[in-house]
Amino acid sequence: MLKNVKYFAEQSWLLIAASFVFGLLLAVTNTAWGPMIEQNEINKFNNLASLLLTDASFETALKDVEVDSGKGKKIKTSIKKGVSRDSDCVGWAFVCEGSGFADKIKLVLTVDAAFEKLAGFGVLASNETPGFGDKIKGDYYRNQFVGAPAAQLVLSKTGDDKIIDNEIVAITGATVSSEAVVKTVNNYIKQIKTCMQTEGLLNNAE
Amino acid sequence: MDTLQILLMGFISVVIVNNLVFTKFLGICPYLGVSGRIDMAFGMGCAVTFVVTLSGTLTWLIDHLILMQFGLEVTRYVCFILVIAGAVQLVEMYIRKFFPALYDSFGIFLPLITTNCAILGLCLFVNLWGIDNLLEAVVLSVGAGIGFTLAICIMAGIRENLNLADVPVCLKGAPITLITAGILTLAFMGFAGMIR
Amino acid sequence: MPSNDSANVSFARTFAAGIWNENPVLRLLLGMCPTLAVTAAVKPALTMGLSVIFVLFCSNIVVSLMRNMLKPHLRILMFTLTISTFVTIADLFLKAFAPVMSETLGPYVPLIIVNCIIICRAEACASKNTLAVSIVDALGMGAGFTLTLCVLAGIRELLATGKVFEIQVMPGAFVPWAAMGMPVGAFITLGLLLGAVNLITRKNP
Repeated sequence: MLKNVKYFAEQSWLLIAASFVFGLLLAVTNTAWGPMIEQNEINKFNNLASLLLTDASFETALKDVEVDSGKGKKIKTSIKKGVSRDSDCVGWAFVCEGSGFADKIKLVLTVDAAFEKLAGFGVLASNETPGFGDKIKGDYYRNQFVGAPAAQLVLSKTGDDKIIDNEIVAITGATVSSEAVVKTVNNYIKQIKTCMQTEGLLNNAE
Repeated sequence: MDTLQILLMGFISVVIVNNLVFTKFLGICPYLGVSGRIDMAFGMGCAVTFVVTLSGTLTWLIDHLILMQFGLEVTRYVCFILVIAGAVQLVEMYIRKFFPALYDSFGIFLPLITTNCAILGLCLFVNLWGIDNLLEAVVLSVGAGIGFTLAICIMAGIRENLNLADVPVCLKGAPITLITAGILTLAFMGFAGMIR
Repeated sequence: MPSNDSANVSFARTFAAGIWNENPVLRLLLGMCPTLAVTAAVKPALTMGLSVIFVLFCSNIVVSLMRNMLKPHLRILMFTLTISTFVTIADLFLKAFAPVMSETLGPYVPLIIVNCIIICRAEACASKNTLAVSIVDALGMGAGFTLTLCVLAGIRELLATGKVFEIQVMPGAFVPWAAMGMPVGAFITLGLLLGAVNLITRKNP
């Protein structure tokens, strides 16, 4: 018995010692850089959202909600309140997720304070085909959402992209990606609006 | 019904549409190394499928039951690679005991499965895609293995014929294999967007 | 004990071997996954190369220091443990100081763990040689890897977008070859690059 223990210790002392050292090393780096990593993620969201809702800051997370992705899955997102310098509520921002052409698409969606008009969206993460699907990041497509009603949007293949209404003109060669964005936006707008209305949050804000 | 549909879609997606070899460049080393003969390619594919299923499931369990519970995400990579190395060792011992002939023909490639990017890659992707259901993680792991087998067998079939072709001397071996793989990727791109 | 001069010469030779004669990607065909995956543009390729140099450097040092205490059958376990620790550190570093780059590289940073180059150098060089040789070897191999990655990424980025390092190079009339930015471009460019290297080495042996 004692012999076994001795043999075991002889064989593995280096491994065990190294595990401890490496564990310590990881713990130190994580405590040193962990807060920075979190801050980076918050900054990215804030930067995208404050481009859309000018000069607003998004300090307070209003509420965490679960949204049905439309495929039977629940995705968590948190609604953030956009506050201007005079501490007025200028709108709301939240992260949306939907499936695109190749992979998941993650968007930051912003709406105005009354939840009637979209303030636009920004792409957090996507993996769409370069030259085609990734044009959803371009101004041509995104500008159509700025000021569009926060109701059900419709995608059309021909139309005038300059007219801001609930009709979104698809990107040539990237109908699927265009449709994915519209679908995701519709899905989230509908569910989050209902959620906020039932909770009475919209009236409080005004 | 819904769950079944999600599982089926996920399976087809990871086998064909998001095939790890063709769209994520994972598992290229064995893909170039063992794809010379179709029977060996198939054996390698089976071994990878087995290991990836085992380690995909185990890493999901460890990730969700231990790492996320205790906030130890920083040690995720270390844990993943140790699980994979353990699983490979297990498979190696099993094959050596029960299929010695197969063991001999695998040679160096069996321990090399540990450093097969497809396996660690899948474990990371399962985590990245935010799979929160054990069944789905298992199905994706099996799918990834089958996708790898599919890719390596197609390649082996082509290379057996390529031996008879008149390839420029400087392109013989790895270069022509890579170019062939490129054309295969092009073919597999046709599946992109099939499943959303 | 060799004189200082000859020691320097052999260091230089070890370093140069990593860049050309034993170039990990072009000659030894190691580390294919990142070579293909992150070379759509020069910037991520360079970041990847530097991360690999960092991990290779640290793991070679640790392995070389431990080489006399290693038990043969626990060797690989020890290597993986070392490598995965340093990869985690590199990953945290990128997440903290270069979040955009970290997102572009995505899972390919943790995949450095299974990059055959590192474990191969630990096994073939660091576990047999002194600290100094291991360090030079790590730097040489790392430099060879980074250089190859950058060349490949340069070609692909130029043809896919008409830019190199995000600076416009091609004239405005150039129509970008979108396919070069996709997996197809990666495979075919690397295939042709390997062919070209074969051609050169056959001429001057």
